[in-house]
Amino acid sequence: MSDWVDAPERGDARLLRLLRRLALTLGRRRTRPLLLPITLYFYARGAPARRALARYYEALGLAPTSRRLFRHHLAFAETILDRVYLWAGRDDAPALRVRGLEALQQERAQGRGCVLLGAHFGSFEAARAAARDEPRLRMQVVMHEGLSQALNDTVAVLHPGVRGQVAPLGSAQDLLRLRETLEEGGLVGLMGDRVVPGEAVYEALFLGRGTAFPLAPLRLAAALRAPVFFFAARYRPAVAGARDYELVCERLAAPAPGGPERAAWLQDLGERYVQTLARQCREIPDNWFNFYDFWHDEAGRPGTPDRGVSGAGGGVGRGLAARRCAARARHRGAPHRAFHGNDSQRKLEAPPPKPRHPVLYTARHLDHA
Amino acid sequence: MAEQSPFEQEIAELLVSSLNLEIEARAIDPTAPLFREGLGLDSIDMLEIALAISQHYGIQLRSDDPDNERIFASLRALAACLAERGACGPSEEVG
Repeated sequence: MSDWVDAPERGDARLLRLLRRLALTLGRRRTRPLLLPITLYFYARGAPARRALARYYEALGLAPTSRRLFRHHLAFAETILDRVYLWAGRDDAPALRVRGLEALQQERAQGRGCVLLGAHFGSFEAARAAARDEPRLRMQVVMHEGLSQALNDTVAVLHPGVRGQVAPLGSAQDLLRLRETLEEGGLVGLMGDRVVPGEAVYEALFLGRGTAFPLAPLRLAAALRAPVFFFAARYRPAVAGARDYELVCERLAAPAPGGPERAAWLQDLGERYVQTLARQCREIPDNWFNFYDFWHDEAGRPGTPDRGVSGAGGGVGRGLAARRCAARARHRGAPHRAFHGNDSQRKLEAPPPKPRHPVLYTARHLDHA
Repeated sequence: MAEQSPFEQEIAELLVSSLNLEIEARAIDPTAPLFREGLGLDSIDMLEIALAISQHYGIQLRSDDPDNERIFASLRALAACLAERGACGPSEEVG
């Protein structure tokens, strides 16, 4: 059984259901030791996840020892357990330390909304919960329909008020709603690391090796015309004196310009995002929660063509050029496959990774709501 | 391909410039769908279009607009909607 890696959301779901029951009955302190056997089970049976993690540690220049890989799995399980408490709003919820929020608060003090570009790094749930508990900030959640349904259900069970705030995302209408949220001084969070099969990508060097990142979150950030921040809630229980989660927030870009400067802005944002993510991974390796073949190494095994990954430069620009060509090609009635761009990108995308939907959240600023 | 009215041509030029499309504005079929199978645009492009329209014509397209689906069906539908809402009417010539 390999659903941990084949469908992390599904693996998450089973673990979540089990943990939710245990967690609420036993409490956090008594549930945490149970994570050991549960994680051991997933660790033992998830060979692809172990392989993927091993490659990640090799990219970091760290030996992928079993101990390291297991502790990484355990950290993930602990964050999943904490989600339950974060959403249940119980006293034993992990405390949050907030760091680097000044720039964000400055923007928000001027009534400006911000885009938070996150990743499957640390616990975005903790970040959401932090925003929820902030008296001046209430969290509104918008998610891709069908995404992490089990997580959504869990959240809805634990925190009934949230259900009504969960809306499908993806239509033009939903995106207009995001812009309205920003106009009201709210926050829009999106994930920039996982690629949905068939979507437009840009190529970048991540931890020294080329791979593909989704272009849509960058384009969306541009279209929303708001300042963009890297955002994560890092899980660092081991640091003495530190609380369990630490929010980090780093400014990546000013609101996007229109016209011909747009491409350079996107290019710059993509590079900064990937560099920031890589730096975070180097600082806290076990917060990386993409338990799958992130560099498409399996796809690149003998028998499949070279992926033709370029260096860090030109990735976003090429992705955009491909999109523009696509519009033109489609207009002329070219076959559907033209949509995904040039050859190297098509190779990069084939065979596609398993569905990993970008997650979108919005937080609405509701003073005195 | 149906012919563009002058106002449709104006909107087409706005689409091409705001989305940085590599097609001629006049080559957009006003009756073809703008999204997916038509011009190949997606919902993020639509957001850009909505912003360009509000900057250009001062018309806010809101998420709760019941006409959203109709408005973005095609260039013709978009132009008709904007004309209805008081953007430069279909009679106005564009240089």
